[in-house]
Parts: sequence; structure tokens; C-alpha cells
Amino acid sequence: MDYLGMLQQLLKGSGITIIVFCATYVMALPLGMLVTLGVRCRFKPLKAVLNFYIYIMRGTPLMLQIFTIFYGLPFLPVVGPYLTLTSRMAAALIAFTLNYAAYFAEIFRGGLLAVDKGQYEAAKVLGLNRTQTMFRIIFPQMFRVALPSLANETITLVKDTSLVFVIGMGDLLEAAKNIANAQATILPYFFCMIFYLILTTVPAIIFKKLEKKYSFQ
Amino acid sequence: MKMVQIKDMKKSFDVEVLKGITLDVHQGDVLAVIGSSGSGKSTMLRCLIDLEKVDSGTVIIEGDPLVQDGVYVSQGEIQKLILKMGMVFQHFNLFPHLTVRQNLELAPKLVKQQDPKTIRENAQKYLSKVGMLSKADVFPASLSGGQKQRVAIARALMMNPDIMLFDEPTSALDPELTGEVLETIRQLAEENMTMIVVTHEMGFAREVANRVVFMDGGVILEEGTPDEVFGNPKCDRTREFLTTVLK
Repeated sequence: MDYLGMLQQLLKGSGITIIVFCATYVMALPLGMLVTLGVRCRFKPLKAVLNFYIYIMRGTPLMLQIFTIFYGLPFLPVVGPYLTLTSRMAAALIAFTLNYAAYFAEIFRGGLLAVDKGQYEAAKVLGLNRTQTMFRIIFPQMFRVALPSLANETITLVKDTSLVFVIGMGDLLEAAKNIANAQATILPYFFCMIFYLILTTVPAIIFKKLEKKYSFQ
Repeated sequence: MKMVQIKDMKKSFDVEVLKGITLDVHQGDVLAVIGSSGSGKSTMLRCLIDLEKVDSGTVIIEGDPLVQDGVYVSQGEIQKLILKMGMVFQHFNLFPHLTVRQNLELAPKLVKQQDPKTIRENAQKYLSKVGMLSKADVFPASLSGGQKQRVAIARALMMNPDIMLFDEPTSALDPELTGEVLETIRQLAEENMTMIVVTHEMGFAREVANRVVFMDGGVILEEGTPDEVFGNPKCDRTREFLTTVLK
């Protein structure tokens, strides 16, 4: 059996996995933060739209969302032709970012709710303005509360990247499947598992470190 | 000089909690506000520093109105008036993600934009004043309640306020820790700081305050020197309250 070839294919597949993961993460985190702030703002229509967006993203399967964005959007009346994505990667990233931003938004919202009202009051009587209060007082505390859930979601994202198979992107799992089919062995799946374990261990370690750093003891 | 003037201040949440408060606080006054829970003491204090908005009435801080007949001045003016006062909360409200020193230095840096050297010196000064210099670099989580409250007092003093507001500063503390906090407040009183102290510590009110206000059901029922209010209360309700709490 060609172990080296197998390993090379898996490595190539994990490249796609890593790209989808990193790009989604970089885009979904800030977007999620913006959504959280939007949901808390006083402008009712924005709040309603964002809550609806979260409702859709959480209430439907991510696999279906990826599928719909790549294959479904072009069929929309009028705007359809402008929404035709030729790049599978682009479609995947849009789907993942929109989906994960919704989850991140809810995690951040929980973090914000956990910050005591007294913190806002203390900041106010010390003369801090809104921006200073949020960035210097509230967000660091929100972040600390959000960390364990963020870690969870991050690890889930690593594994969820395997859903890109629905638009045939050739990620890690896809690579394993191809080798398995070609060589009639389930060995690649075991290797694949080890690859995923390694990929999820990295964020797990980073988040443990972050939690320690932000324990404020 | 009148530091705080309150005229016919009213405030409702679901029910009316302040039913027309009129009160003057002079320079150097140490005013103790006593009364049972729900009498409106804390709400009154919070209205002075804009943590609650009054429904009607007037609040004047050092001659400048915060709210005149129910109409608030501009946000900029409010901000200036807030900075004339320091506030100490029942639950300390220290910033848990900052060390003791950072808690003190944040507002002078961001709001007053003082130079780092002055800020550092002031932090040393106020931390040693409240006896917390040795804990300057720890996080609030590792402090006792009394220590937290002393840090909170130092943090408020960093902004160099003319008036200090204390909202039940010892109510969340274990009984054996109230002493150190009250001692710090007593020290401030000796330095002629103008203070309004909402408190359940009758002994403290009696010894340290030069004026005592008894609030009940959203009104000021009695006002006078500690000897007058504690020694010879005019209202039956005051007498009843004092008998209960001093028992």
C-alpha cells in the first residue's frame, strides 16, 4: 500500500480544510460581534432583521446552506443571475461565515448579558464615554465569559468544514473517501481521524491558554 | 457654599419612590442618609450623579443645574457635573479584568488625560491612603470585601472629586470588615470632604456625620444633627425606626 501517496493526498485535502477554517474564523468573528451589537441597538427594524437572520442560520442545516448558496442562488428570480458563484471556495466561505457569525453573535450576546450592570455604572460615574466603556470595560469581560463557548464552537468549525463535500471541494474527508474507494481500504479514514484530531487540538490548546490568561486571578 | 441643592425631586419606577425631596448639602458636610429599605435613599443618591433620571424637580451641583424643573441640561454639561462627584457602590463595582492599580489609573488616563507620571503618583498616594499599596498589582478577585471597597474609594478619589457619594458602602461586607471601610470614610471626613453617605451603620452616622437625614416612604421625615435625630427624634416613625435598628 502506498502510504506516502495516501499521506500526501490527505495533506492536500487538509489544506482545503485549513483554508476554510481560517478564512471563516477571521470573517465570522468580527461579523458576529457586529451582529451582537446590532441586535442590542435601539433601531427596531435592524434588530428584527438580525434576529431573523440568526433564526434562519441556526434553524437550518449548514450543509443545506452551503448547497443553497452554490446551487440555489442562481435560480432566484431577477437577482439570480448576479448571484451565480463560479468559485466553490467562495460559496463555501460565504455559507460558513454567515452561519458561524450567527452562532458567534449568540455567544457574544451571552457574554454581554453576563457583565454586571454595576460595571456600566462604575464606568459612567468615572466619566468614561460609551466607546471607552465598551472597549475598556465591557468587551474584555464579555470575552472572558465567551471563551469556553467560543472554544467549543471553534472545534466544531474544524469538523464542520467536512460539509464542503456537498459542493465537491476535495477537503480532508473527501480525500480520505477517494483513497478508500480507490484502494478498497478503510485505513484512510483512520488517518483522517488523526488529522482532524491534530487540527482540533491546536485551537483547544490555544483556548486553554487564553482562558488562563483571561482568568484575572 | 452649597455643594448640592435638591428641590422637590420626584421619581417613579412602577410606584413613586421619591415624593418630593428637598435638601441642601454644604461644603464639608458629612450627611448620613438613614431609613429602612425601599425608603428611596439610594435612588436619591443615584439621581444626583445621573444614574437615574428624575421625573421632576431640580438638582444643582456647586451652583450649576443638572436638572431644572425636570429638564436636564445638555449631555456635555451633565458629564462635567458627574466628574465633580465620586461614587462608591454597595457592591464595589471594581473592574475585575484590571489590577488594583489599573482600576485606579484607567479613568484619569482616559477621561482626564493626565500625564502618566502624575497618574502613577496619585495612584501611589491614594492606595497608601486607604492602606492598599501592597495590593496594587493584584486583581480584585483576590481581595476581601473590605479591601475591595477601600480600593473603590481610592479609585473615586483619583478623579479628585469635590463631593463623595456613598451608597451603602458597608452593606455587602462581613460585619468584621465594615470597620476598615468606615475608618477610611472617617479619614475623608476629617479632611473636610463633602460627603453623602447612605448607610445602615447607625453608630457611624452618629459619630462621623454632622447631619443626619431620615427618609421614609420617599420623603425626608426628619433632618438635623446626629444628636437631634438620634437623641430626640421629632417623628414617631423615626423613633420607631431607631428603636428597631438600635435594638
